[in-house]
Amino acid sequence: MREADIIVVGGGPAGVSAAVEAAKSGLSVVLCEQRPALGGAIHRQPAEGAAPVAALPSLARRWQSLSAKLSASRVEVRTRRAFVGIDSTGAVLIDDRAAGKVEVRRPRALILACGAVERVRPRPGWHLPGVAAAGGLQVMLKEGRVPEGRVLLAGSGPLLLALAAQMTAAGNPPVAVVEEGDPVSRPLAATRLLTHPFILPDMAVLMMPVLLRRFLWRRGTRLTEITQSADMLSARLRAPDGREERFEVDRIGLHDGLRANDFGLTADPPSGLVILRAGDLREVLGAHAAEADGAEAGREAAARLEGRPSCGSRSAMRRHRALQHRLSRIFAPAQGATVLRDCPDETVICRCEGRTIGHLKEQLAGPDAVSARELRLNGRFGMGACQGRFCSEWALSLMSELRRSAGVPASPPDFAETGVCRWPLRPVALSSLANAGIYDDTRTERHIEGISA
Amino acid sequence: MTAVRTFFWQGIEVPFRAGESVAAALSGANIHGFGKDNAGSQTRYFCGIGACQCCLVRVDGRTTEACLEPVHAGMIVTALEDGDA
Repeated sequence: MREADIIVVGGGPAGVSAAVEAAKSGLSVVLCEQRPALGGAIHRQPAEGAAPVAALPSLARRWQSLSAKLSASRVEVRTRRAFVGIDSTGAVLIDDRAAGKVEVRRPRALILACGAVERVRPRPGWHLPGVAAAGGLQVMLKEGRVPEGRVLLAGSGPLLLALAAQMTAAGNPPVAVVEEGDPVSRPLAATRLLTHPFILPDMAVLMMPVLLRRFLWRRGTRLTEITQSADMLSARLRAPDGREERFEVDRIGLHDGLRANDFGLTADPPSGLVILRAGDLREVLGAHAAEADGAEAGREAAARLEGRPSCGSRSAMRRHRALQHRLSRIFAPAQGATVLRDCPDETVICRCEGRTIGHLKEQLAGPDAVSARELRLNGRFGMGACQGRFCSEWALSLMSELRRSAGVPASPPDFAETGVCRWPLRPVALSSLANAGIYDDTRTERHIEGISA
Repeated sequence: MTAVRTFFWQGIEVPFRAGESVAAALSGANIHGFGKDNAGSQTRYFCGIGACQCCLVRVDGRTTEACLEPVHAGMIVTALEDGDA
């Protein structure tokens, strides 16, 4: 087997359309996906015997169309392959999870399309079993496991309503959706969505169970604390007028928006390898944008390898950016931005290392200024197995909050300042690294070449 | 009718559907806490996409994310804290 010209990482809409477009040039393309099946977050496929979740109207049949194009292409699909990083020589490291070994690849171009990760703001009790990211519950639902029992969804953004609508359709609507924003109080902003007619049928699907009162929709309301008692989780909510309310539930899904899954990627990759970013990993603009952006990246990669000028401008992204901007205004928190330092000191920020708000305050209390790097190396914030994906944003913003309150104006330091932009981008077994190597059959080719030389 | 396929969680037989993850099958059995990790924190399903590392378990002796690992018949899955022996 020969080395592929182009490796695409991520089997969602951006990655699949990038691979399909790149392969049209005749260049060889390998598409790697960390799960056993393609689809990504939006088009995740059900397990055997499970009922599929209906796609939103604007996305209906998109996946069938994309996968048909993929089947008709010469793209080679490899599942259970996780991207580990690029080493200093420009080699692309891919963890073959089934074989337990890291593949060392030398493509001419790499397209990264690993999507987005959820933002989940620390709240007291967010780390308890039974509390998951709302997107995590959606993964289960799409694969066929409808979250059972009494479920509460809280945080902010359209994903909460989408998950609630899907759970309702699957027969277990959530007890309530607790939304920090108050979309209803922003009719003008909502009217501006009319300039994006393609999402109106989606919104109708999202709003239908709300209008039918299938679950409570608490707007402008914040989940302030989760506690565990016996087998139940207790969620404390605070309404805009300050009134408090408690819900006893079995499971809680939290969601405070999305961010690009670009953790640990360096801005200045080794020369000689063409690296492009596509879809939500480049900019979180949703599934429609991701598919178009991926196609653009696929064409650009092929053009650059063939020495042709790449003509893509990605100007279509402007429309999607405007839509995301409008949605974020509609869902802006009604009680103002949250202040992390108001959470109790025992609130966990970094779950992997068990580090709390109190620990962070202690670290900053000394006479010397603490850098983002020291916060990680000495304070162990972001030092754990998730490599800061779920805590660094909050640890850094709390650090700047505390500095501001001490009279030192400071914007949150950049994630890169923590000093984690290097491979491995995700945990990889030492045995897999020890087994790292070129493909067996490539070795065989070299061996045969050696004999005949 | 096809036989129900099972794997083992802490020595207990748990049924699963072909094509689902260890975490999905455990959730189907109403198992949400996966024991303590090396730092003493409770492990549990969280992000579902292999990013948060909160659902680490041992699968046939190897540490891996329950949310990414496809489950197979007869697979031996244990909590991290019980796999050190």
